[in-house]
Amino acid sequence: MAMKYLDKYPKNLAKSGWVLKPLVTVLRLFAKTATRKPVTVLYPYEKEWIPDNYRGRPGLRFDKCVGCGMCVRMCPTACIKLVEVADDDGKMVMRPQVNLGRCAMCGYCAEYCPVDAMTVTPEYELAEYTRFDLIYGPRRLHYEGTTEGMEVKLEVTLPSDIENGNPERRVSLFDLDRPELIDNKCIGCKKCAKVCPVDAIEMVEKGVNDKGRPILRPIIDNGKCISCKNCVLDCPKDALVIKEVL
Amino acid sequence: MQYSSIHEWITFTDLMSNPYVPFDTYNLPFDIGYRLWEILGGLIAWLVNLIWPGNPISIWLVDEQVLVLFGLILFMVIIFLVAFVVCLLVLWMERKVMGRMMDRRGTMIGLKGFMQCVGDGFKTFMKENTIPTKVDKMTYIWCVSLIVGLSCLVACMIPLSYRWYVVDYDSGLLIIMAFFALAPFLILVSGWAQNNKYSLIGGMRAAELMISYEVPMLIIIATVSLMAGSFNIGDIIYFQNEHLWNIVPMCIGAVVFFACAVAEAERVPFDIAEAEAELVEGWQTEYAGMKWGLIMLGDYLRGTVSCGMFTILFLGGWTLPFIGDASQWAYLPIPELVFLLKNFLVFFFMILTRCALARVRTDQILNIGWKVFMPLAVVNLMIVVLLKDGGVF
Amino acid sequence: MTDSIVPIKEIEENMEKMDTDKMWVIMGPQHPFSHGLWTLKVQLDGEIVTDAEPIVGYLHRGWEKETENREYPKIIPMADRLCYAASMTYTHLYCMTVEKALGIDIPEKAKYIRIVADEVCRIQSHLMWLAAVGTDLGNLTVFLWCMREREYFLDLNVKLCGARMTTNYPRIGGVRNDTTDLFDRDILRTVDRFEKALWDIIYLIDDSSIFVSRMKGISILTREQVANVGLTGPAMRGCGVDFDIRRDDPYDNYDKVDFEVPVLTAGDSYSRYMIRVEEMFQSCDIIRQAVQKVKALGKNAPYRIKTPSKVPAGTTFTRLEDPRGESLMYLVSDGTDRPWRLKVRSPIFVNVSSAKLQSVGTRIADVPAVLAQIDMCLGETDR
Repeated sequence: MAMKYLDKYPKNLAKSGWVLKPLVTVLRLFAKTATRKPVTVLYPYEKEWIPDNYRGRPGLRFDKCVGCGMCVRMCPTACIKLVEVADDDGKMVMRPQVNLGRCAMCGYCAEYCPVDAMTVTPEYELAEYTRFDLIYGPRRLHYEGTTEGMEVKLEVTLPSDIENGNPERRVSLFDLDRPELIDNKCIGCKKCAKVCPVDAIEMVEKGVNDKGRPILRPIIDNGKCISCKNCVLDCPKDALVIKEVL
Repeated sequence: MQYSSIHEWITFTDLMSNPYVPFDTYNLPFDIGYRLWEILGGLIAWLVNLIWPGNPISIWLVDEQVLVLFGLILFMVIIFLVAFVVCLLVLWMERKVMGRMMDRRGTMIGLKGFMQCVGDGFKTFMKENTIPTKVDKMTYIWCVSLIVGLSCLVACMIPLSYRWYVVDYDSGLLIIMAFFALAPFLILVSGWAQNNKYSLIGGMRAAELMISYEVPMLIIIATVSLMAGSFNIGDIIYFQNEHLWNIVPMCIGAVVFFACAVAEAERVPFDIAEAEAELVEGWQTEYAGMKWGLIMLGDYLRGTVSCGMFTILFLGGWTLPFIGDASQWAYLPIPELVFLLKNFLVFFFMILTRCALARVRTDQILNIGWKVFMPLAVVNLMIVVLLKDGGVF
Repeated sequence: MTDSIVPIKEIEENMEKMDTDKMWVIMGPQHPFSHGLWTLKVQLDGEIVTDAEPIVGYLHRGWEKETENREYPKIIPMADRLCYAASMTYTHLYCMTVEKALGIDIPEKAKYIRIVADEVCRIQSHLMWLAAVGTDLGNLTVFLWCMREREYFLDLNVKLCGARMTTNYPRIGGVRNDTTDLFDRDILRTVDRFEKALWDIIYLIDDSSIFVSRMKGISILTREQVANVGLTGPAMRGCGVDFDIRRDDPYDNYDKVDFEVPVLTAGDSYSRYMIRVEEMFQSCDIIRQAVQKVKALGKNAPYRIKTPSKVPAGTTFTRLEDPRGESLMYLVSDGTDRPWRLKVRSPIFVNVSSAKLQSVGTRIADVPAVLAQIDMCLGETDR
């Protein structure tokens, strides 16, 4: 492949009249823009087209959210916080609140949301008069025109699938990893069942111990689990570990 | 005396019948000023006379000599206002045309962006007047006044037509060039006075720039007057109208003069005195607010003067082929408009060079000035001498 | 000259005795020539530069220390912020480092998409540099035309991943998302259109004797000087060193696309300029080939594989051809999900140390023109 530019330049500029060509080039563009319009977009009045997957401020679909706190953990700038709000039925639930003054618009909250409740939105005009106004509560995070394209899917291919000659299979990251119980560490404190946002953990009696009290062990419903790792992180004895499927 | 009507005070007598008029030929701005004063002074005289009939002030106000005096004051105001408005128009044109050449829109505020110039003027006017502590205060302030004052003076001295002039005598061209070349000295002085390294280098560069373009420029001016046989601006223009515009026989000289005029106005590619890439604002670094605004005004006034000189010397001034100076339709402002349009055309090319070219280095401008422009100017002179000697003109 | 009041000889003698001090002029950090926050102290003898000293560090954010407290995926958006103009390459570099530490091989499609993204990033970074060259040499038209062209490439970024500058696109094990609908059509159109528009900018610079005379023959560096000071990237190739990591130490399928590495031996400011312009054309070629490869792999090809969250203990070292030079990351992992140490070698931090070498002997008017060829970016320099 040949060089496109270095084959022609440097040139003997005396042949082209030293400064004549730039003058002509500029004049040509002037003739073009004087008859037609320049490329400038008059911003506050006209706006450029932006695609659905544009990463503006995060948006939240309140009903879909389960309050797992995955976004809080994945946020690189720690601008998301879980706050308690009343849902439509008046029950108090935990939902994310975003401080847009710190948001880096990286889209991680939307990407790592196991239930696709967090989305990216094409809203980028976020100026407010005070910093307090920049804190978006769960209800304010709602974006009217949320479409399919604003969801960010975290779909991966397993290395094992590629080895098995099945590379076209894509799975969500949250379909595979499941917490696993190390039985001798568990003390049956029920904390995992309490923190599970989707009630996938049920404490089941498994006989009695020496003192005659019931031994409680968590049983994880794989169908319900969204692998948010809340139980793993909150386990006081590290009895639960996440098992990564590769 | 008893006066019954205001018409007796406002008479609109013929201008040239007044023996005290200082102009030999008809002068349009003076005529406007004279008539304005007839209205204003006549009104005042009439009102005063209504209160105190027969008072001497009323009689003094409409005296022939006093009419000329106040007419001259209004004449000066009119001349300056026209120069100022032309300067604003040029500024607006630069912003708009430059915007289009760079594929953007230029200023957008009011009247297709014209009001932005006015707004910027007000903005600089509102700014705080700051004077750095370590500057030489007197020189620092006076240099601005002198630079702007000289620029205004030269801008006012450019005649717009055979009837729109301030002075009309045989060394008019030389006087204009002399005043025009004074400003770089003041730039050097103000660069020194600001006690700032950038300004100092900028001021030195202004001097360096001046010695490189001034000589070829003066040679070309001498050539033009050799061609026309006079230093009188009117003579030069009517000579061109009679024969041929100077740009045809003196095309080399026109190009060189254009480059020198760009350098005289300190515009890209020869704006080395205020090279913002390496010297923050060059010699204007320490000026802020209104002082800076005035300097910008002076810059653009000098730009218009440069264009005006080019129009006078090479483009036939206010004349057009086949029409001449349009004196048969004297009631229409054709020659003035022709002159200004030619001015704007030249300024358009100045904007074009600004958009298309980069800034030259200091040693390069000296090289260009002495090794390129100077020989070209001499060649131009030789061509003209040959043409004159051969009896073509 | 016999009429002179003071004999000429006496004047000459006095000139030698005259005490002419050299002057230090401080350019920066708030100076039109310093793109970003840095200072160049230059010592002037008249207008000629006799000494220069770059001062950097105004923008130090503790980037390397901050990474030690974050999980691996969370460092990707931070790597974006290393250099706003070359965010894609830095993210790519970081992901490549972690992948190497994990010992995994990413899918073909991800490799080609990364090449496309990298070259788009290279073109827009070079366009920004070209814009800066225009303003440093006193011409605003070049600046605005380049920025206009750059805008189309930023639009491509939006189309690809939803963000203009801090793209956050490569991921450990692949890329964030597959190419979107009609992306290949858009990118080919943009590249075709850009090649035409770039010629206009070239006419403005290379056909103007003022531009060329401002750059030609000044600040000549030899190969030895380049090697000693550690200059990399287009500036190095302009001084006659034929080395490009994309070709000589290929990463991510760069060995499967066909491109030329421009090298010039003159070593002056102008040849360093020309290398970058030619690189833009070569990048266009690379983009065309890589887009075809992505298309050929089909819609269902894997683009991201699952990776373990914990990186085994060990040290890894990766390098990559940044638009500005050779950038390098050195990762020390200790078996947890956070790095123990992550060192970045940014090309500009090394290149700017050649400021003295480049600017001594030139005039002060040349200092912006010469140092524009470094293509300063303070985000990565100070980290």
